[in-house]
Amino acid sequence: MSPAPTEGGLKQARPGSGSADNRQMRPGSAFADNRQMRPGSGSADNPSESQLSAALVDNPPAGAELGFYVHVPFCAKRCGYCSFNTAPLEDGAMARYLEALHREIDLLGAIAWSRRVRLSTIFLGGGTPSLLPAQDLAAMLERIRSRFEIAADAEITLECNPESVTREKLAGYGAAGVNRLSLGVQSLDDSILPRLGRLHDARGARAAFEAARAAGCDNLSVDLMYGLPGLDADGWTRAVEAVLDWKPDHLSAYGLTLDAGSLWGASGVEGLPTEDTQIDQYWRLARAAAARGLEHYEISNYARPGCRSRHNQIYWHAAEYLAAGPGACGFVGRMRYANVKATPRYCETLAGGDLPIASSEHLSERQRLAERLILGLRTADGVPTALLESRLGGDARLRELVDAWRARAVLVDADDRVRLTEAGFLLSDALFVELL
Amino acid sequence: MVLSRIRNFSIVAHIDHGKSTLADRLLSLTGTMDAKKAVDQVLDSMDLERERGITIKAHTVRLLYRARDGQEYTLNLIDTPGHVDFSYEVSRALAACEGAVLIVDAAQGIEAQTLANFYLASDANLAIIPVINKIDLPAADVETTRNQITETLDLDGSEALAISAKHGTGVPEVLEAIIARVPPPQGDPDAPLKALVFDSFYDSYQGVVVYVRLTDGRVRPGTRVLLMSNGRSYDVQQVGVFSPDMRPVEELSAGQVGYITASIKRVADAKVGETITETARPTAAPFPGYRDAKPMVFAGLYSIEDTDYEALRDALEKLRLNDPAFTYEPETSLALGYGFRCGFLGMLHMEIVQERLEREFDLSLIVTAPSVQYKVLTTAGEVLDIDNPSKLPSPDRIEQMDEPYVKSSVFVPTEFMTAIYKLAQEKRGEHRSLEYHGKRVHIRFDFPLAEIVVDFYDRLKSISKGYASFDYELSEFRPSDLVKLDIMLNGDPVDALSIIVHRDKAYEKGKALVEKLRAVIPRQLFEVAIQAAIGSRVIARETVKAMGKNVTAKCYGGDITRKRKLLERQKEGKKRMKQVGKVELPQEAFLSVLKS
Repeated sequence: MSPAPTEGGLKQARPGSGSADNRQMRPGSAFADNRQMRPGSGSADNPSESQLSAALVDNPPAGAELGFYVHVPFCAKRCGYCSFNTAPLEDGAMARYLEALHREIDLLGAIAWSRRVRLSTIFLGGGTPSLLPAQDLAAMLERIRSRFEIAADAEITLECNPESVTREKLAGYGAAGVNRLSLGVQSLDDSILPRLGRLHDARGARAAFEAARAAGCDNLSVDLMYGLPGLDADGWTRAVEAVLDWKPDHLSAYGLTLDAGSLWGASGVEGLPTEDTQIDQYWRLARAAAARGLEHYEISNYARPGCRSRHNQIYWHAAEYLAAGPGACGFVGRMRYANVKATPRYCETLAGGDLPIASSEHLSERQRLAERLILGLRTADGVPTALLESRLGGDARLRELVDAWRARAVLVDADDRVRLTEAGFLLSDALFVELL
Repeated sequence: MVLSRIRNFSIVAHIDHGKSTLADRLLSLTGTMDAKKAVDQVLDSMDLERERGITIKAHTVRLLYRARDGQEYTLNLIDTPGHVDFSYEVSRALAACEGAVLIVDAAQGIEAQTLANFYLASDANLAIIPVINKIDLPAADVETTRNQITETLDLDGSEALAISAKHGTGVPEVLEAIIARVPPPQGDPDAPLKALVFDSFYDSYQGVVVYVRLTDGRVRPGTRVLLMSNGRSYDVQQVGVFSPDMRPVEELSAGQVGYITASIKRVADAKVGETITETARPTAAPFPGYRDAKPMVFAGLYSIEDTDYEALRDALEKLRLNDPAFTYEPETSLALGYGFRCGFLGMLHMEIVQERLEREFDLSLIVTAPSVQYKVLTTAGEVLDIDNPSKLPSPDRIEQMDEPYVKSSVFVPTEFMTAIYKLAQEKRGEHRSLEYHGKRVHIRFDFPLAEIVVDFYDRLKSISKGYASFDYELSEFRPSDLVKLDIMLNGDPVDALSIIVHRDKAYEKGKALVEKLRAVIPRQLFEVAIQAAIGSRVIARETVKAMGKNVTAKCYGGDITRKRKLLERQKEGKKRMKQVGKVELPQEAFLSVLKS
């Protein structure tokens, strides 16, 4: 059953029901009213969060279509390489989270400008979203639909871990409206998978893939990782070929990065392949994917034609998206913001009636341009040449540097666009740092 | 003021033996300032001085002290710079005194600078009051220190005062000893004015503030004074004393210490050692020993951003207003573009100038490998002063090259002798003498200046576990077999990385240098070959492989801000890179020439 809260909190927030304090408020800002209506709540304790929330209210999106990212933080176990915001799945935690999430969706939906926008994609990421029972997912999506207009052809993606899905559960997700699945396979080596902290084996991964297909999923992505401890070049080739044999519609393959926020980043890990091996693995994948007709459309992403991730392309086009859930990040208007990370605190803040925004930043013109360049150049489509030109301007040194990339044919021009080649992808940060 | 109630003295010590702490104690004890303020060691007033815990400029302060004899005395404390780079400044400050308090650390004993300072004070005919400081330390050994003072310094160690400046123990006795043992100044207030400049600084409102010690005559606002070394005359605007802030007085007279302002525009016009007299009635005998501070170490200074050249020039000009010991002239480097060849008293002075330029003028600088000044006799019979390796004539035009040598003193516990001799040999040192002082030895070496300016002191400290101390003075030029070592990046020589080295050490130095460069040059889009060459002969080579992989695997909605900030931080780091040809060189690349 759905743990959704009553409508009461939201109704209280409607304009016109306020106290004398309302004179101070911005007219038409339902959310601002809401804050004032709860003087003893989180807003009084956390003025900064309230101010940040107000910034979102006062900062309408530039476009009419938004993506919507929902973070489901829970994991049965934390993986060594993972630096995402995760939370242990304790008793009652999921219910508390869902209650808070519903309230957050309500609060976002109550912002005046929400009525003017349409959601073109929804992405449920984690954590492990597939820990959500199908009916809870359905209730959540329903809640979003009740507050936002959703495009008829909206892409709705859910990340799954192989061990947490069955055909029935996946069918339930499909019935709830999920039309794209991303399956966290990571490796098909049963000696490597446990070292990563994964709870599935190669057979389980294959079974989950089959189950997704059997459940009717026709937009199915697989996640793999290379550069893993103990993974040699041939082992990688076998995993790539095996996964490609499954004929996924989309493949994400990440070179291992030891992020500071991960267990491995903190403690170190043994047996990492050399840089040359990692580069070799990158190229083996690129060649194998090309041979199967997949486009290498972003540094770490491959797709059958027509099956690129629409949601993720919003990020790389530096376009706008809303966010909900602990630690989730959004980008609206000129503002990038992030929610409170810790799940309990996230829940408390929402219980107090505030949006749980922990930090925000308004991008300068220069930062906006830099982001459009460094995100756009992550993709095979690259960016319009004119956009790069506007950054180069009269900067002779930068132009000389960019020309050196062109001279080495790692940066190429075609049809008024400029893009990195597959060799260029590998070096991309060295260019991006200059383009800031 | 009665001369018999004036004492002009200085405190001298090896670094860290507690000079500033004692000075602070004296200030608070005489009520010159309250104890709380004293915590900040007022005398070391430049930020850099406080951070480094050393005195760079001389300071002076007037203390009023009612002695046990019931009389009130005026004590002028003239604080001296505490580093060998500034030994000329020390000698001038001492010339302004009649006495010196010589501090010896009760745990460390006599060190090289203790000895150097003792000699400077003896040469200036000062009454020396030995003081054993830090007697509160568990490792303090007062008796041994007394013996050392007797044996090494030709002073009576039994008369040394044992104090703890930190806790104030014995400090009143220091004041009494100054009254009793330092002779009062002598001089004739009615004779022609004769004042010694022992320091000066530039103040943007008053012009140069000149620190003076009067030996004869008087000076007051309106007096027309003559600076004897340059023949310029000025009208005095203000005279005053430091207590410890500048406080104007009506007159300074024979025996007194204070300051003069006279709308002097540049510190270089009132240099340390200068004699000030009356224009109308000049003194017959200026102070002896005046000389221009002579730079010993030269390096190129370049702004990392080409556009900052003008800003660098302005900054150098402003800095020189206050620091005439430092010299600069424009130079061009093929690798680095337009910059300045700067002369410094030593490496510390160079670091201070660089830090002040970066901090006070917000510049990012490249400092090229420091060089000493060589004398080159060409086949055409000219003698050239060469302080920039890239200006060295080609070998076929050189008849002979001479390099500067120093006489040096090393004090070290006997257990480290072997290591010291090994280091001295490596640095082309020539042993001169060896004296035993109990468990320690005093070794004198002659060294080529070029060998000791850079990392010698650090090496000495590290091989002796911090116990060795070192002092030196320039002695003479000697013929030497020197060659120019060039560094090439992808075949192109980088003039700013060239150094002049002794032929016997060229191979070793070249090898160390290219290895060091390989470690600090980041991987670039292409391979970078680093070669060291003498003339056309390559003697060492290393390669920086082309960048293999520099990529962020995941960049989704939650990663974008973090990613951008990460790149922004990297970019900050890159600001300290200089594009040389097609290769990006970090600041450390230039420093590595120093340390290899």
